Amino acid sequence: MIELRHLTKTYGTKVAVDGITATIRPGVVTGFLGPNGAGKSTTMRMIVGLDRPTSGTALVNGHPYATSRAPLAEVGALLDAKAVDSGRSARNHLLALGATVGIGRRRVDEVLAQVGLSEVAHKAAGSFSLGMGQRLGIAAALLADPAVLLLDEPVNGLDLDGIQWIRDLLTELAGEGRTVLLSSHLMSEMQLVADHLLVIGQGRILADSSIADFIEESPGGNAVVVVSPDAGRLAALLAGDGISLTTREPGRFEVRGTTSAAIGDLAAEHGLRVHELTPVTASLESAYLELTRDSVEYTATVPTHELAA
Amino acid sequence: MTTTLPAPATRVRPQTLTRAVHSEWIKTRSLRSTWVGMAAVAVVMIGFGAIASAVSTGSVQPPGPGGSDGGGPFGGGGPLSTVLTGSTFAVLLIGVLGSLAGAREYGSRMITASVVSVPRRWQVVVAKAVALSAAVIPTALIAVLGSYAAGTAILSANDAPTASLTDDDVLTTLFGMVGYITAIALIGLGLGILLRSVAGSIGAVVGGILILPNIAGALLPDSWDTILRFLPSSAASAFTAVAAAGDSKLGAAAGVAVLAIWVAAAVVAAVVSLSRRDV
Repeated sequence: MIELRHLTKTYGTKVAVDGITATIRPGVVTGFLGPNGAGKSTTMRMIVGLDRPTSGTALVNGHPYATSRAPLAEVGALLDAKAVDSGRSARNHLLALGATVGIGRRRVDEVLAQVGLSEVAHKAAGSFSLGMGQRLGIAAALLADPAVLLLDEPVNGLDLDGIQWIRDLLTELAGEGRTVLLSSHLMSEMQLVADHLLVIGQGRILADSSIADFIEESPGGNAVVVVSPDAGRLAALLAGDGISLTTREPGRFEVRGTTSAAIGDLAAEHGLRVHELTPVTASLESAYLELTRDSVEYTATVPTHELAA
Repeated sequence: MTTTLPAPATRVRPQTLTRAVHSEWIKTRSLRSTWVGMAAVAVVMIGFGAIASAVSTGSVQPPGPGGSDGGGPFGGGGPLSTVLTGSTFAVLLIGVLGSLAGAREYGSRMITASVVSVPRRWQVVVAKAVALSAAVIPTALIAVLGSYAAGTAILSANDAPTASLTDDDVLTTLFGMVGYITAIALIGLGLGILLRSVAGSIGAVVGGILILPNIAGALLPDSWDTILRFLPSSAASAFTAVAAAGDSKLGAAAGVAVLAIWVAAAVVAAVVSLSRRDV
């Protein structure tokens, strides 16, 4: 469990993280999304104490990370896969980290095998490809069997097998009751692996909900596309509480807040022609883009009732 | 809650200072540059001592009545300062290696992994200091005693005066030199962590500690000697028989104390900096 309470970080006059309050629960994979510079990495760095919050607190399992008795067993973090000394072998890198909590060769070899690096365990980490570096970073995060995992862009540079592997691994780890916080720019990946979403923009939380609710409730959420020569009249009939209409071209509009069946019935009732009636399920990507675009630009909503007929 | 990884997870133990030291020692010994660097220190020290002994056999003065044989870094002094001629270069090199030990994790960003695994950051600094000392002290012992043995053998083969281990202050001087080499390594380490840059800390340790005092000693009026003798290299000259800036020497004990304060200041500054600043 990770608890963020009014967490704030400023650099000079720039506010990187602006009073975030959130709880990241165990047992599910929480996706951490936001545009570049939104404050994702800074937040993750504050959780493990790399950056000191300007104000507010970040608690891991109920206490500040710095007071952990066995830090690596509390949080396994992959924040920067390149943060290894290039002259040291992968195995020695892990041995050195593990030694801080009394972990020895057996566990190190086990984790190397788990991430598929046994063959290159004695090679200098500097000679690793991006994908191998990510695997080493994941090995370091798993080393002390932590209850909380923080992974910043873990699939970067991984091949398809690697992406599949980490997807299964994260699901398994969350299933074991661990807290998993994962940031990624790959929306399709996030949609497959995350159960819960934390979206931030400009240092503030934009959304904190289950992935299903997030898509459902987004402005671009489940809609019905209607193509009709009688679009104007049909739209006028539909307009009402909780229903929004958007026209992108004459004779074609999108309806949110009702179902295709209801629209079809209404059209039939009034003898209106309908050429197309298509339910559209939004993707995480479109929901995310809608949300962050609104947050970034603060643009007024386009009036939805001015329909061309 | 967390029970079903593929293989039974290892028993995890509390993170302690001892485990932090163990971790830093694994890091130190697993870099080839550590061993290359330490070997270079010993080779340079013994090599220059042997060359100086061979070329200055005629000019070596017998040890004075007090046992201290003073003299300059390039001969003209007693047998002990002659056989320890290489110390100037060895100290320079160890200062560079110390700076590297402190700053290299900032270049690679490995420092983030270090402070995540040991979040009580003072322990990172102390552990690095202990691990570095564990590599430097044996190296310095080999270098100093090797220089003494090789140089003395050369001097005695040429019928020049030699310093015996049983003479007054000879052992003090030899072990003092081991201490001086270790101290400069630790000052370099502290500066490396403080400045977070390999180039910057090497510049600071080589320039500020080893070059600046000599220039200052030559250019500044004599009245400055009082201040110059508190510089690390000058303080060390009080117990290592190798001359440095500020002719009016401190006593041996005062020299040790002054150098120890420099080391403590560098380590404490590194602790404060690492603890306060974001990594």
